[in-house]
Amino acid sequence: MSLAAPLALALTALAIPIIIFYILKVRLRRVPISTNLFWRQLYDEKPPRSIWQYLRHLLSLLVQLLFIALLVLAVADPSFSWQLLQARRIVVVIDNSASMRAADVLPSRFEAAIENALATADGLRFRDEMAIVLAGPEPEVVIGMSGHIPTLKRALRSINISDNPTKLRPAIEFAQQLVGEHPHGEVLVFTDGCSKEERPGSGAESLESGAESLESGAESPDPGDKGSDSSSPVPPSSVRPSILHRRIFGSAEAGNIGITQFQVRRSLIDPLGYEVLVRVHNASENAVKARLELELDGAPVDVLPLDLAPDGVFTRALEKTSLAGGTLIARLTEIPADNNSLKTDDTAWAILPPREIQNVLIVSNNLFLRKVFEANPLVRVSVVEEFPDTWPTSGIIVLHRDVPQKLPPGNLLVVDPQNDSDLWTVGESLVNPIIIKQDAASPLMTYVRLDNVIMPQAKQLHFTAAPHVLAGSLSGDPVYAEVKRTSGKCLVLSVNINEGDLAFRTAFPIMMTNSLGWFAGRQGELRPALQTGAVTEVDLVDANVRAAEVLQLRSPVGELQPLVVRGNRGQENQEQPDSIGATPSVSLPPLDAVGLWSVVRKSDAVRKSDAVRKSDAVRKSDARPLAEIAVNLSDVSESDLRTPVELLPKNKPAILAASWLSRPLWFYLAVVACLLTVVEWWLHQRRMIA
Amino acid sequence: MSLFEPDFLTRLEYLSIISKRVFRGSLLAQRRTMQLGSGIEFSDHREYTPGDDIRYLDWNVYARHGDLLLKRFQEEQDLHIYLLLDCSRSMGFGDSPKFDLARRLIAALAYIALAGLDRICVLSFADGVVDEFPLTRGKARILSLMKFLESQQVSGSDTNLGRAMQGVLQRSRRNGIAVVVSDLFDEHGFQPGLDQLRYRQFDGHVLQLHDAREADPALLGDVELLDIETESLRKVTVTEKNLRAYKELFQNHQRAVREYCRNHGLGCTQSDATTPFDELILRMMREVGMGG
Repeated sequence: MSLAAPLALALTALAIPIIIFYILKVRLRRVPISTNLFWRQLYDEKPPRSIWQYLRHLLSLLVQLLFIALLVLAVADPSFSWQLLQARRIVVVIDNSASMRAADVLPSRFEAAIENALATADGLRFRDEMAIVLAGPEPEVVIGMSGHIPTLKRALRSINISDNPTKLRPAIEFAQQLVGEHPHGEVLVFTDGCSKEERPGSGAESLESGAESLESGAESPDPGDKGSDSSSPVPPSSVRPSILHRRIFGSAEAGNIGITQFQVRRSLIDPLGYEVLVRVHNASENAVKARLELELDGAPVDVLPLDLAPDGVFTRALEKTSLAGGTLIARLTEIPADNNSLKTDDTAWAILPPREIQNVLIVSNNLFLRKVFEANPLVRVSVVEEFPDTWPTSGIIVLHRDVPQKLPPGNLLVVDPQNDSDLWTVGESLVNPIIIKQDAASPLMTYVRLDNVIMPQAKQLHFTAAPHVLAGSLSGDPVYAEVKRTSGKCLVLSVNINEGDLAFRTAFPIMMTNSLGWFAGRQGELRPALQTGAVTEVDLVDANVRAAEVLQLRSPVGELQPLVVRGNRGQENQEQPDSIGATPSVSLPPLDAVGLWSVVRKSDAVRKSDAVRKSDAVRKSDARPLAEIAVNLSDVSESDLRTPVELLPKNKPAILAASWLSRPLWFYLAVVACLLTVVEWWLHQRRMIA
Repeated sequence: MSLFEPDFLTRLEYLSIISKRVFRGSLLAQRRTMQLGSGIEFSDHREYTPGDDIRYLDWNVYARHGDLLLKRFQEEQDLHIYLLLDCSRSMGFGDSPKFDLARRLIAALAYIALAGLDRICVLSFADGVVDEFPLTRGKARILSLMKFLESQQVSGSDTNLGRAMQGVLQRSRRNGIAVVVSDLFDEHGFQPGLDQLRYRQFDGHVLQLHDAREADPALLGDVELLDIETESLRKVTVTEKNLRAYKELFQNHQRAVREYCRNHGLGCTQSDATTPFDELILRMMREVGMGG
């Protein structure tokens, strides 16, 4: 036996005053009486059993001394060596993914799992240690190894459920690392088995295989027994199967219908149009009739009746039009209650970017050039034949053939220049140049392939500074180039558009459309809706955001967390490192809830928080977010709440129970000391009553 | 608070009136003695013997039957009433000491007796006779008696009823009624003292007083008992069982007093010290009246 606090033995000195008081005896209370007549009769005629009376006092002293001794020993915290050898090390892995919200197990799978984990914590024995790992997008240690049950229970109660998809494998591997080579190590996984990793045939068997079942059982309406334990068939080489045990909270009959895919993008053909991709999965054994409602910023867009067979999938690409864009929401309605165990996937969000009108000044009388731009409904075209006295400060200036010696500031597109300027000098003509070099990664060349295309006629240009060549000829001359200058963006196309063949005339409008987007600074027409748990980096629409500025990430429920602008993703402002330039961006943490997330300024966030508490009307009048991100569950495995039958247990699970001597030795010493107080009380009462 | 309150005499007068109705001459004076003598009320006849006063011959009997019978008459005489006050230290025990009630009782009984033209004598005793208010008669003496009572203090260290009664009897010229007001806590027993009264043909009455804490002492645990009479100390451990035994002993003592009085024709009134004196006097009157 060893003592944790041997110095506590010094408290034995407390016995000294007890002995002193016993020897000295406390002065008795003096009570006057009128006559000794009756007391004498009482005590003299019936003398007390003096030996017993003496022993009673001595026994009382011994009890008091033993009481002190036990308490001192309890404070010294003794322990046996075998207790240390049998201590267990348990790591509990909690699955808080979206499917754990399902209410087929009352009150929910997650709450049942937490209740079961709490019972497991209660069953810890003395010297046992437990750690809690959350199976989020990345394994998260909720609490490290601890044997303090109240702390463990507090940590368990602090876990919140998320809308993330299940990612058990990293958490289990991490848990096994925590257990290490401990001879009594265990990994307990509390999950519903609804994930790609868990389903048979997914390859996850390798992780779980061979795990011996510690507890197993059928489903039960009682929260404490909802869990069930299952083992898996084949162990991987890196896992010691004997330490892995799973408790399953779910049933094979839980039906659910959910939106498993929802994306929107601008149409490639129609500048005002957009395309919606939606997929609905009926993960149940029953045919389901429901409705899918689409609305854009609160305005109904479409209502689709659904008639899904068991395990049926509804996939549809819809084409709609909208100039202003907004938030597109898809909702499943009129779902039978028994087929909707999970609400998280009943609604999906997507961001449709708005279209903006661009002003284009064409200095040319070329009809083809004018029609190319006029064909775009998002362009407001004005045409002049001579150079204006003052150049517009915004919009795009298109120069054709005639070019002033000093180019105007702003966004500039030069087509087939015939004159020298401050950026280039015009050289010889290029006859039938063939394009062999193209910057396919540039947004200016999206949907355009000019490789091996023979241009009818072009001019050789000698730039004063090396341009960024978007398309170059066999001779190495740039045919289409981005010229860097400080006063604005500039594109130069040296091809004679009047002589172009069909291939070029087909590509030219697309090139112009790309250039309009490039000038406007748009980063494409797709803002994909993310899956929960995703980590991403988003560009901010406000170019005035400065480096290291603290922004706020607002969750769908209005919670805020700070974000720091990391820097400039673009290359435009390398000379001004303090400025973000056109494409400031921030990295977002894992987005663990479905809905619309937004990045806002700190001041807007405060105002927004107030607004959230007030009304939606105020919300609409709020400042425009710097960025919005739609987050959906979009996980077929999470929407499918049916726990694989293979994972369901055969036997009733047992709570990890504390056995005899599961408490520390000091606890029992204290209990015995308490019993001694009862004995002393009895002796005292004997003195008083007997 | 003084022993005798201002309305004390008023209450005594009331008691006196009440007593005439209740006692009907059965307790104090105004009653016939068993002594035959020169009274006017015929008692019985006896045979004439030479030397008898021939004035008492019943001539009517002689005329009818020729027998010489002498008429006997019951003598009327006032009684001597001895009021015996226990002034031992035990009488001073309690929040409202028994001694105060005892003195009020003595005063009340004396007033009633004096109002009935009887002679009274008050004797205080402890281990012997301590003080004496000699035989006297007439209501006017009540104030003197009250002063006497007020001057009495608890004293003595060893109550001895037998020795005290011996002293009383030595002082009494003739027998009469003896009222003992005491707690009867006597290490030697209360019987020897009362026996002596009986043997001298006294009509005895016992007024036994006790304190509530004597009947039910609120003691428990280790205590040191101080006998206020002997000032002796005794360390004892009082358990509930001891306490029950004590109460039983006390009740036995009370019962023994009652049985002794009943067996020997003495009046007995027992009370705790909180009972008002007038109520106690009335109770005593009723008991005596019923007894005869």
